[in-house]
Amino acid sequence: MASPIRLDSIRKEYSAAGNTHVAVDDLTLEIPAGSFTTIVGPSGCGKTTTLRMIAGLETPTAGTIHFGDRDVTDAPPQDRNAAMVFQSIALYPHMSVRENIGYGLKVQGVDEAERDRRIEEAAETLQITAQLDKMPSELSGGQQQRVALGSAFVQDPDVLLLDEPMSDLDAKLKAELRVEVQRLHKELDATVVYVTHDQTEAMTMSDHVLLLEEGELAQFAPPGDLFDHPVSEYVARFIGTPSTNMLPATVEATGDGYVLTDGQFSVPVPGDLFADRVGDDVTLGVRPQYLDRGGGSHGVRVRVDVVEQLGTEYVVHGETTDGSKIDVVVADDAGLATGEDFDAYFEPDDLFVFDDGGDTICHGDALSQSQPA
Amino acid sequence: MFEFGEGAAGSYVSQATQQRVKRTAVVLTALLVAVFVTIPVYVMIAIAVQSPSSAFAGGSVQLFVDSLSFENFRVLLTETSTPRYFFNSIVVTASSTFLSTVIAVAAGYGLTRFDFTGKTLMARAVLFAYMFSPIVLAIPLYVIFYTLGLLNSYFALTLALTAISAPFTIWLMWQYFQTVPIALEESAWVRGASRTRTIWDVVLPVARPGYISAAIFSFAVSWNDFTMARVVMSQDEMYTITVGASLFLDRVSIGWGETMAASLLIAIPPFCIALFLQNYLLQGFNVGGLE
Repeated sequence: MASPIRLDSIRKEYSAAGNTHVAVDDLTLEIPAGSFTTIVGPSGCGKTTTLRMIAGLETPTAGTIHFGDRDVTDAPPQDRNAAMVFQSIALYPHMSVRENIGYGLKVQGVDEAERDRRIEEAAETLQITAQLDKMPSELSGGQQQRVALGSAFVQDPDVLLLDEPMSDLDAKLKAELRVEVQRLHKELDATVVYVTHDQTEAMTMSDHVLLLEEGELAQFAPPGDLFDHPVSEYVARFIGTPSTNMLPATVEATGDGYVLTDGQFSVPVPGDLFADRVGDDVTLGVRPQYLDRGGGSHGVRVRVDVVEQLGTEYVVHGETTDGSKIDVVVADDAGLATGEDFDAYFEPDDLFVFDDGGDTICHGDALSQSQPA
Repeated sequence: MFEFGEGAAGSYVSQATQQRVKRTAVVLTALLVAVFVTIPVYVMIAIAVQSPSSAFAGGSVQLFVDSLSFENFRVLLTETSTPRYFFNSIVVTASSTFLSTVIAVAAGYGLTRFDFTGKTLMARAVLFAYMFSPIVLAIPLYVIFYTLGLLNSYFALTLALTAISAPFTIWLMWQYFQTVPIALEESAWVRGASRTRTIWDVVLPVARPGYISAAIFSFAVSWNDFTMARVVMSQDEMYTITVGASLFLDRVSIGWGETMAASLLIAIPPFCIALFLQNYLLQGFNVGGLE
């Protein structure tokens, strides 16, 4: 039975040589039963620590963890009915693939016939039947990863935890296994928590994404929400490639309302949000994909630095007139050369507005309502 | 080995020259080893397998074996306590090897898997203890065993031998366990295996090259030991083979021939072990940083 995972004010400190390092700070959230949740964030943000606390391999310094109604905060990893796939894959080098997959079942005392039936079923799902009697060292990286997945889900866990399982694989295998993992999730009755630093994985695979910032929750939301409604500059920068452009601007009052301006553009904004911010510095976030060379309601001048080709599209890395970095995704580079200038246009609809502390003031949908008809 | 710079490429000396130098160095080293090891071993064997009268015929040592004779071995096994010495050696070597290896595995596992105060200090103390020569330990151990009335016992000699070998075997296992990923154990715990079960199912099999090296090392220390056996054992029937063989030289009835035969017998077990377990030995010592 998949169970929901509830974290309540989880905190994890490490003390080393007199220094206390807070790995996870006041994390509260509820992962719904049977969902696929990805924990994402840059290195050292506490995502693996969080996962290890869910697995029982670390004990939180403060706070509680519940699987459904059961408090597992201090329960040992052995009796949480969780399964985990490690970053290092962690196959037992002295056991054959069959024994590796079946080890958990053996520990639980499942008899050999039943064990073999389940191992073979798992192997079939993961297409490693031919490898069952080989040793792990004889397998390719992708096959080893499949064995690790197999050993995790053969036990029919309530909670399946994956710690950056694909970070060592090449892009093609990653894409293949990504599909595999999602298929497994559909077949399994388990709550899946997946740790990755790769936001593409997070966005494509999960029902919910938990983005961490230095051990604190930055945003916990479905991927679409994270992309369209980031709660802070940090979230907007982290999610999406290339990263969201940040354009500095100030709030100004004009005769018929309020605008955000940097001299080149002047975006009208609703008074109820900005009336008491006149004179404040804000940041406009706009995704490189939403900048358009063809035309739009507002524009900035971009000086080309480097143009990268990404298959069907191009990423133009450049600078605005005030020197801030800006990326523009264009369908056609049209012979843009280094040092050349062009205008990139955007619609207020696609903007995010952040205050000088990095918190979101509003998203584009709030701005478009204030457009003059 | 002789190497100019880090590797083949990027140095001023051409790769072909480096290859030549390397080959010459290998041959020279092999010759040196041959002179200092193979020749004495050959002399030992040659004297052991000839009857004393033919080995020393004509006033000089006969190094070309023309008549095989097991006379020396017969004298050794029937007229001296050599079988008894052998038995003693086997008993203390086996128990000390076992004890030292068990201690090393336990200590290595503990040092790498648990955090406790004084861990670094303990690790350093272990390495420091390894610097002592056996004779430094021998006298205090003698006093201790004397006080406890344990002299002339297998138990005391086992402990004494373990005291010499354990610092190194502990250090070896400590290094070895650092290369065993803890994720292997964690993965077993998550799957429901207790810590004890994980040690049997996962840790020990994975650490096998490590503890086999440790066992071979403590075997070599115990089997070849002279100092401790000489100090702890003072009765003829408790002597180990090394001490016993050295005493042959003092006796009029026992000559060089028998002594060489005893030496040959002493050399056989280590030789077999080196021959059959060399792969494990290399694996274990590689990790320990020794090559």
